[in-house]
Amino acid sequence: MTRFAGFLLAGAACALGLAAPAAAQQKAPLSILRVIDADNYDPIRSTATAAAEVVYMMADTLVSVDFDMKTIKPGLAESWTVSPDGKTYTFKIRKDVKFCDGRPMTIEDVVYSLKRWTEPGNKSPVAFRGGPVQDIRAEGDSTLIYELKEPYSDLLFQLALSFASVLDKNTVEKLGANFGVQGFNGTGPYCWVKWTPRQELVLKRNPHYAWGPPIYKDPKPQIEDIVWKVIPESNTLMAAIQAKQADVTYYMPYIALDTMQRMPGMTVQRQENYIYDVFMGFKVDKPVSKDPAIREAVNMAVDKQAIAKAIFFGKGTALPSLLNPAVLDYDKDTVAKTPKHDPAGAMKLLDQAGWKPGADGIREKDGQKASFVVYGIRNEVNPRISEAMQADLRKIGVELKIQLWDATVAWGKLATQEFDAFYMAYPYVTATEALNLYFASRQAPTPNRMNWKDPKTDELLKTAATAVDPAKRKEAIGAVQMQLTDANVWVPLASQPLWLVAGDRVEGARAHGIYGAGLYKGLDIKLKR
Amino acid sequence: MLPYVFRRLLQAVPILLAVAALIFVLFSVIPGDFASSQMADGRTNVDAETIARMNKQFGLDKPLPQRLAQYVGGLATFDLGDSFRTRQPVTTLIAERLWPSLQLAIAAMFFAVVIGVPLGFLAAVKPGSWIDMLSMVFAVSGLSLPLFWLGLLLMYAFALTLGWFPSFGYGDGDPRYIVLPAFALGVAPLALLARTARAAVLEVMHADFIRTARAKGAGSYRVLRQHVLRNALVIVLTTLGLQFGSVLGQAVVVEKLFAWPGLGSLLVDSVTWRDIPVVQGCILTIVLFFLIVNIAVDVLCAVVDPRIKYS
Repeated sequence: MTRFAGFLLAGAACALGLAAPAAAQQKAPLSILRVIDADNYDPIRSTATAAAEVVYMMADTLVSVDFDMKTIKPGLAESWTVSPDGKTYTFKIRKDVKFCDGRPMTIEDVVYSLKRWTEPGNKSPVAFRGGPVQDIRAEGDSTLIYELKEPYSDLLFQLALSFASVLDKNTVEKLGANFGVQGFNGTGPYCWVKWTPRQELVLKRNPHYAWGPPIYKDPKPQIEDIVWKVIPESNTLMAAIQAKQADVTYYMPYIALDTMQRMPGMTVQRQENYIYDVFMGFKVDKPVSKDPAIREAVNMAVDKQAIAKAIFFGKGTALPSLLNPAVLDYDKDTVAKTPKHDPAGAMKLLDQAGWKPGADGIREKDGQKASFVVYGIRNEVNPRISEAMQADLRKIGVELKIQLWDATVAWGKLATQEFDAFYMAYPYVTATEALNLYFASRQAPTPNRMNWKDPKTDELLKTAATAVDPAKRKEAIGAVQMQLTDANVWVPLASQPLWLVAGDRVEGARAHGIYGAGLYKGLDIKLKR
Repeated sequence: MLPYVFRRLLQAVPILLAVAALIFVLFSVIPGDFASSQMADGRTNVDAETIARMNKQFGLDKPLPQRLAQYVGGLATFDLGDSFRTRQPVTTLIAERLWPSLQLAIAAMFFAVVIGVPLGFLAAVKPGSWIDMLSMVFAVSGLSLPLFWLGLLLMYAFALTLGWFPSFGYGDGDPRYIVLPAFALGVAPLALLARTARAAVLEVMHADFIRTARAKGAGSYRVLRQHVLRNALVIVLTTLGLQFGSVLGQAVVVEKLFAWPGLGSLLVDSVTWRDIPVVQGCILTIVLFFLIVNIAVDVLCAVVDPRIKYS
């Protein structure tokens, strides 16, 4: 018996002796939690945040965006110049870049990747973001020429999005439609190891990587392994972070953030410049919503502060204007023009416009009831927003009929003319991008669901989009913001915040948030144990 | 016995085909489509042309009868089609998820049988006692508790507060990971088995042949073991079979809550994304499992009770 016990003790000691150095060298992977997986990780085929947030870690873009969401910094391109007519961008590409498989990146890979993204034949749903491309070509072995048919002032910001990632031409052609499903080869700080759809995606440090964007302190990755894990249920996600079964998330339910902040060792930080706005848009050619008085009165009647507080549990902010104050070329004068919460003023305005209260309390004018239908996606926030708005509008004698749709049906419904108003939440990088997307006449009926067709708007949008001088762009897009604010085409509601929650094992994590990618390249992050 | 089993398996074929056709038609007529769900994050301009192109890509532009015929033809060769979302064969996706689901179902039923059946027997043997009262309170609670809430409670108590078990995941076969989801899933069948076992034992105990056995001088233990339990076991086994089959369906909630990579979570995700081939494949697999378990239970009943003869 004694011998047996001694044997066991010796065995345990040996096991400990062997295991201890290995444990000292290898830390458990950084575990990042999220609520949904992407359907694929091919940058040009997926528009989902769930794809972008991982692609940013596996691949690089020519340029990067700083944490302020306004400043363009180098990426794979060391420097660049723009021709005086704004049509030709010349990028000087780094020569020290290698793909995950160790092959040096060539200028052909860069040209191939950008052409793959922008060429209509590839049917990328995000090809339009590349602008009116005339030609993309190489000059020598490290110069890229991006030639446009007309100036496109948003180009650098669009080139910073994950869709414009540079990929290994050989791997893309070898895997074909399975690129981003069965494998991936990029120049990012982390490399694709294994993807188990709807469960986890495992990444490993790119051993060659030393060309991180200058927005980070250290251009090299500090972590050996990263695992992106999918936990669809937000309560479970919360428990997993609390139980220290995972390290980082930016999908924490807003209701739990205060609890997280109180937990010792937990870091909770907000990205103040994150842009993801929620608004209600009016169709301006429908019987009730075409009346500017109705649109202005609705803007005045809705208590946006209360809505923002309710839907984000005090962790979001009400939008003070049509666009987010953090966006490039924001016109701060629109704040003063945006109607303030004033139900009494709204009622007075409607009275003056001839909308008189009917027998049922709903206002009427020329036999038309002040009643309109709003469509939206049935998600976590829209039911609460719509019910709060319905109550606010009822107080001024306007009826809001709510029709929310399952996500698989909603986009088809939102492309129809059946409704008078709609809810939408969207991310954007510049004012020019957002307003060109939603308000250009050519974009009707979707995404210009407002049916806003105005020659002056079109002209200003074109001026902004093709401006070579940033000041002129700002002036033109500022004028559009002012025009749309005057017309009250939208009810700007709230800015959805990005909160990064990290456990006590993590240091150096900083919230970024470009296109919803909370950790962006994942550099500067270290693990304590 | 073998011809009987073979005949039952053959009978399952038309049932499966009918279920397959029903699911196919249902998912074809309900509103919503895969193309629209792809745009559900709102980052893309959705236009009719894009949706039409995607529908054509996945063959959704063809008439319903043609698609149905193609699908049923594929079933004959065990081809369930490819996932719209990941482009992987549905059979591959199901094969990856089936074992974790079976593990969960087996573990849940293990809890149910090991705790529920003895509890029911004990309650019946001593009716009106504190054991009887306690077991029935437990049974009623187990049947009444919403699965989702119970799962959260278990997670809070044993993962978050006590730290005994992980709160989510599969853990690559680490047995600690299965305890909480399996117990949560097993509570309802446990409660039902306890109630069924109690009722079955009580019923048998009042039967004429038990009175006869006692009149002939058989001891209480012998009566219980040889006459009561064996007769009651047939009813318990039948309930067990039905529960085993349905547990795979109920696992949808538990798998989602505990991020368990089984068929249930695959099914929920696929419904959300209108990934119809995967939904059909998952439901067919669950139905098939249900049928197989029922045949197995019928066979087992015949083994336990010699009076049952199949021809």
